[in-house]
Formats: sequence, C-alpha cells, structure tokens
Amino acid sequence: MGEAAPGAADPPPGRRPGRAGWPGAAAIGQMLFRAEILAFWVAVAPLLSLLPASLAYRLACWRGDLTFRYWAGKRAEVVRGLRQVLGEELSPQEAERVARDLFRIRTCEVIDLMRLRNGARSLRKLVEIRGREHLDAALAGGKGAIICSAHFGSYVCAFSLLHASGFPVTTIGRWWWNYTPGETPAVKRFWDFIYARRVLRYRQRPNIEPWPGRVQVALQAAAVLRGNEVVTICSDAPPLESDLTRTITVPFLGHQARLLPGIVDLARVTGAPVLLAFAHRTADYRHQVLEISPPVPMHSETTAVFGQCAAAMDAAIRAHPAEWDFWFEPTDLARLGLLEGSLRPLVRPDYRMERTTELEHLS
Amino acid sequence: MEAVINDYISRELVQDSALLPLEDDTSLLETGVLDSLSLLRLVVFVQERFGIMVDDIDLVPEHFDSVDSICAYLRTRAAETAGQAGSHG
Repeated sequence: MGEAAPGAADPPPGRRPGRAGWPGAAAIGQMLFRAEILAFWVAVAPLLSLLPASLAYRLACWRGDLTFRYWAGKRAEVVRGLRQVLGEELSPQEAERVARDLFRIRTCEVIDLMRLRNGARSLRKLVEIRGREHLDAALAGGKGAIICSAHFGSYVCAFSLLHASGFPVTTIGRWWWNYTPGETPAVKRFWDFIYARRVLRYRQRPNIEPWPGRVQVALQAAAVLRGNEVVTICSDAPPLESDLTRTITVPFLGHQARLLPGIVDLARVTGAPVLLAFAHRTADYRHQVLEISPPVPMHSETTAVFGQCAAAMDAAIRAHPAEWDFWFEPTDLARLGLLEGSLRPLVRPDYRMERTTELEHLS
Repeated sequence: MEAVINDYISRELVQDSALLPLEDDTSLLETGVLDSLSLLRLVVFVQERFGIMVDDIDLVPEHFDSVDSICAYLRTRAAETAGQAGSHG
C-alpha cells in the first residue's frame, strides 16, 4: 500500500503533547478514530445522503473540518507536500486552506458515492456535464472513446455518472483493497460491499484491473472499444516497478514526472479518440462540473501526445489543487518524482490506482 | 507462420537487442518482450495477417509465451474456426 501502516506516522486524533504520558491514550485515540470512520461510512454518510443536498454537504464539510483539525499528522503531510511540489505558488496560509479543502472534499466525495442510487438521480442533479457533445461525436465514429482523467475530484463517481447518463463506461483501474498485502478477506468484502458495489451499479462491466502478469488488459480494453463503448483511465498514477521501462518523462506540476502513456498506444492501435475529463466541485461544495474536452490531436509522437494529457491534468490540478488525491499520499508524490531527490519513482508492486480514503486505516 | 510472427516480434516489439535473433521458444513474457500493449499490437497483427480472431477467453499467458506457443494456439484456433465453418456449411 502506498501509505504507512495505520497510525504509524500519525499521533492518534486528539492526542496532545501534554497528555503523551498517559498510558493507553494512543490506543484509545486510535480506536476512537477508527470507530468514527467506520460509523461514518456505514451509518452516517448513508443517512446524510438522504438529506437535502445543501444540508448534507454542509455537514460533510463540518466533518471534514473536524478531521482536518484532529488528524494533525496527515494535515502536516498534506501541507508539506503542497509546499514542496508547488513551491512559492502557495503561501503557507494558502497551503493550509487547500489542505482544509482537501479534507472537506474527501468527505463530500463519500456523500457523492452514497448518492449513487436510484439511477444516480440525486447526484445527477448536482453535476453539470459540459462537453458531452464531444463524447457523443467521438462515439459516432464507431471506435469507442477513451476518457483520460486523473485522481482528481470525485472521479470515481463521475465515471459512474457518465454511465448513468447513457454512456457505457468501463474503467481501467485497480481496487486498492485487492492488492494490499495481508488484507483480510473480511476487509475486502467490506470494501466490495460499501464501495465497489455502489460504483459498479453504474458501470458497463467490472473494472479492468492491470497488474504485473495480466497481459490481457489492453486487449480487454480494446474489446470494450470495439463495442463502441467508453473506457476511462486515470493517467496520473505512478508506474509499477515492472512498468518503469515503459514510462516517459513529462513536465508535470513544475517537475519531471514519469508516467505511463499507455492510453496513447491504446488509442493508436484501436483508432479510438482520447478525450480529457475532469470533475471539480464549486464553491458551495455540493455542485460539481464535469468538463469533457474535444479529442486530443494524435498526429504527433507518443511523448508529445501524452504531454498534452499531462498538461491538461496539470492545469486542472493547479486550478483546483484541493481536488487532487495524491496530496494525501506523500509516497505517491515521491513515486511520481514530484518531491526533491525522488525522481525515480520507487513503486512497490502493491500500489493501487483507485482512490484511497481514510477508511484504509480500518484495515 | 513461425517465421512471420518471429519477424514481426523481432522488428516491432523486441526492445533489447541482446534477445536477437529471437528464438522461437524464448519466453516473451519472462523476457519482458510482451506486455499488455505489445500483446494488443501482436493480436491486431495476427488478425490482419492471418485472419484469425482471438477470443477474449483465450487471452491467457500460456498462449502467448513464445513464438512456438503463439503458433500452436493459432493453428488450434484456425482448425476450430474451419470446423465451425464446415459444420455450419
């Protein structure tokens, strides 16, 4: 997994320096922290999702603020990562504000997930899809369409929302709990039930999950495209160790990141156009905009074509920095080559692509 | 068939020149010649060159581990296709 073991780097919530000597405080704090997370996902978030959106997302923000306040270790990591990667673009105060927004947004995304029910109508009312004509036009070509996105915004729900809006969507991506060493079957079943089940209701088929040795992934994606369907993928994922030789180096967030340009190869072989799509939340936290671009021109060489995708991801992240997941995971930033002295992404084979959440700390 | 496929893989997919000339029994997966995307290119080539469609269910590493195994699979697949065409005809 791309992060430290539960609690390894963080003081337990609520623990303050003056209380450090109290025996058992750390364990109790950690236990309460996990209990809160479990209760939130299993009971609170589903209930919140039934409330009027304005109230539900306001309460989600409130919970995000609490997490921001009490999860001091993670907050410090996020701020440090923001400052290290974006440098002088963010003042310390701005980095704090972005970090707080990140915590709010992550909680709001759980509400998004819970609103994926009944045809996703309650979520569809909150998300404006811009540029769907580009996707319609791409599918009119009969070779399917590849949507390139990032671990940005409520992308998991956005893909499901596209499907609920009439586009047959299949995602290339791994569920992290399936690739975490030592994960118990109970935890996997929990995540399958609480997370994947909701998402996959609004997907054409289960995720195509790339992993070393699964050489059929691109062929499966090609088969989906041959059916004139939509394949989505997040192209900002740090490469696996086994994929390092196939990475290219592209400018990304002011650094040279090593990323996999697989979508460009897939597009060239299948003839499917590549479109970019990013969802971001508006200032009220409940409404979102999902913007779909026209097809990326494919006339130049692979590095140049993929460079356009990386530039689009870069622009989206700079415009809405709190929406990018990887601020939450310094190890991911390092693997991408965005932190000083870490140009070579040291990716363990247990790296996951789908979103992480604080729920991982339950495992 | 072996020569055609060996030639295509050697020209288009082998990145490590130390593997050339490519032996027909060299493991393409263990040597890293074939990955997900290069397998896709190979299958597209096979379909265009030999007119043999690869079923999704057949997309297992054993069928694509070497030039020999690819050809063995394709011959089986061609025979199955011919048999189905004969039974329908």
